[in-house]
Amino acid sequence: MSDAARYSAPRPWSALIMRLLLWFVLIVFAIWFLLPAYVVVGTSLKDLDEIRGGSLLALPHELNFSAWRHAWSEACIGVECTGLKPYFWNSVSMALPGVVVSTLLGALTGYALTKWKFKGANLVFALILFGCFVPFQVVILPMAQTLGKLGITNTVYGLILVHSVYGLAFTTLFFRNYYVTIPDELVRAATIDGAGFFTIFRRIILPLSPPIIVVSVIWQFTQIWNDFLFGASFTTGGAQPITVAMNNLVNTTTGVKQYNVDMAAALITAAPTLLVYIFAGRYFVRGLTAGSVKG
Amino acid sequence: MASLTIKNAVKRYGHVEVLKGVSIDLRDGEFLVLLGASGCGKSTLLNMIAGLEDLTEGEIMIGDRVVNDVHPKDRDIAMVFQSYALYPTMTVGQNIAFGLEMRGVPKAERALRVEQVAKTLRMDHLLDRKPAQLSGGQRQRVAMGRALVRDPEVFLFDEPLSNLDAKLRLEMRTEIKRLHKRLNATMVYVTHDQIEALTLADRIAILKDGEVQQLASPAEIYEHPANMFVAGLVGSPPMNFLDITVEAGEAGPAAWVTLRADGADKPVLLDLSAHTARLDGYVGRKVVMGLRPEMISQGTTDAGQCVQCEIDVTEATGADTLCVLNWNNQEVLARGTSGYTKILEGTMDFTIETERACLFDPESGLRLD
Repeated sequence: MSDAARYSAPRPWSALIMRLLLWFVLIVFAIWFLLPAYVVVGTSLKDLDEIRGGSLLALPHELNFSAWRHAWSEACIGVECTGLKPYFWNSVSMALPGVVVSTLLGALTGYALTKWKFKGANLVFALILFGCFVPFQVVILPMAQTLGKLGITNTVYGLILVHSVYGLAFTTLFFRNYYVTIPDELVRAATIDGAGFFTIFRRIILPLSPPIIVVSVIWQFTQIWNDFLFGASFTTGGAQPITVAMNNLVNTTTGVKQYNVDMAAALITAAPTLLVYIFAGRYFVRGLTAGSVKG
Repeated sequence: MASLTIKNAVKRYGHVEVLKGVSIDLRDGEFLVLLGASGCGKSTLLNMIAGLEDLTEGEIMIGDRVVNDVHPKDRDIAMVFQSYALYPTMTVGQNIAFGLEMRGVPKAERALRVEQVAKTLRMDHLLDRKPAQLSGGQRQRVAMGRALVRDPEVFLFDEPLSNLDAKLRLEMRTEIKRLHKRLNATMVYVTHDQIEALTLADRIAILKDGEVQQLASPAEIYEHPANMFVAGLVGSPPMNFLDITVEAGEAGPAAWVTLRADGADKPVLLDLSAHTARLDGYVGRKVVMGLRPEMISQGTTDAGQCVQCEIDVTEATGADTLCVLNWNNQEVLARGTSGYTKILEGTMDFTIETERACLFDPESGLRLD
């Protein structure tokens, strides 16, 4: 057999079959993953009669948003029938400061650890990194005592502090690894130009950081918004974040279980992180893979 | 402008001694080149002058002020980095003005000075661009502009041309030379390129393993290298080192040399009488004779001793044709004719300028003086 024949392209029909098989497998997996999401969205748009009467997979007869309205502003959580609205704002007022503080501190720590190397900088970094591997359950008791001493138990401020502290390990890791790729000569040049620690940070380093800031913000927002453990441990009643409130909403049943309201509540709770991923997701990937900043 | 004095500078990292007591005196307006291979301590020394690294021992003075504990920004120095270190998010204009801004120079004056510098370096049309939009040569200019605008006492250059292509490097070399002539500023320039050192410097300090091997003018370093390291480092093509044994000839010291590749011919007695004083006490001992390629030229002249040599290989470089000869079974590079004027092959006449040869002690490597 000649070389040309041996290396010629496979016959068209076999290529077609392979292609069809590939599509088939991909579509099966896509359905597999999307089915639960479909059930959640579909159920949230049905009323109770329809849920009881129809199949789980049937399309809703009409777009009925009453379950959403109910979950947002009327559903009973414990004895308070306020819906998720106040807890949603609890989560917002916890997540935003938590994200800003932990990102800013992480940036500053990462900058100090890479551009102002001191004796033992690597050890300090290793210790901070260790924080990434500490399970949160381990720190609940000492943290509860600390919050008690500081007098911020059962407040949003307490949760902001907890999330800022425990986010620092990850944000420091992000920023440190990003700043390692920024040439030290930039800092040297700025030092000779007369800029100090914070001026260099603000004028030179921070303007170079948007890709990694996006990563840190997405990561931290997801972590803080989705947190259940700290919220359930350190707050009660009106100070709870939305994740805890949603859990209580689902568990507070009087009479008939309102599946449609539960589903709507779950979607409302998940919406902010979903939106963040939809709008900033590609920057997330870009930031994670961002390398050198050749000027 | 100011003088620069380095007194017995020592730098140690733990037990590793990077600089072993370097002393250099620079007068006002002098251009010093620190030349050496990587790891010789030249960049460390420059960083110490800049204040980016501390001295372990010793003293650095700019003018008559000891600056050991003075912050870099207060030393009145400016530095051009190998990677240019331009601030990527600022425009060219902002890059140049940054140092002035940090020193609280009013905005109007800043703009004026940036414009002047931009004109000097012929880049006034680039002021609004970001560094990423510039070519290598333009970035280099911006880096120079950033140093110039500050009008410092001392300019420091850390291998500023090594990231440029060959043609641009030549251009910028001339530009730096012109700048020095015009500003008459004190400059310290680090490089590993000996041609840059020879062309730019008023004086060259050659470093090896944290020690100054020789501190002298380019001419002095080229003609009278202090030791074999300096002799081998400076000059292109490099100096030939020939192991010889000194004999007592009729007119003074001499050495037998075979001039054919196979070593089969009768050796020729090379006359070293010009070095009689230098070779006193070396008769019967081995020495290393250093001959630059241009000291061995094709043809018969009365500049030195004429011998017949067999040519092994020729290398035409355009300007010169180099001949590889074989003496005492060692390769020796000779400068043949200039240009392509003549075909060089077989056995031909060469003139050796033994008077200009450098003689080194084979053990210490030092030049015999």
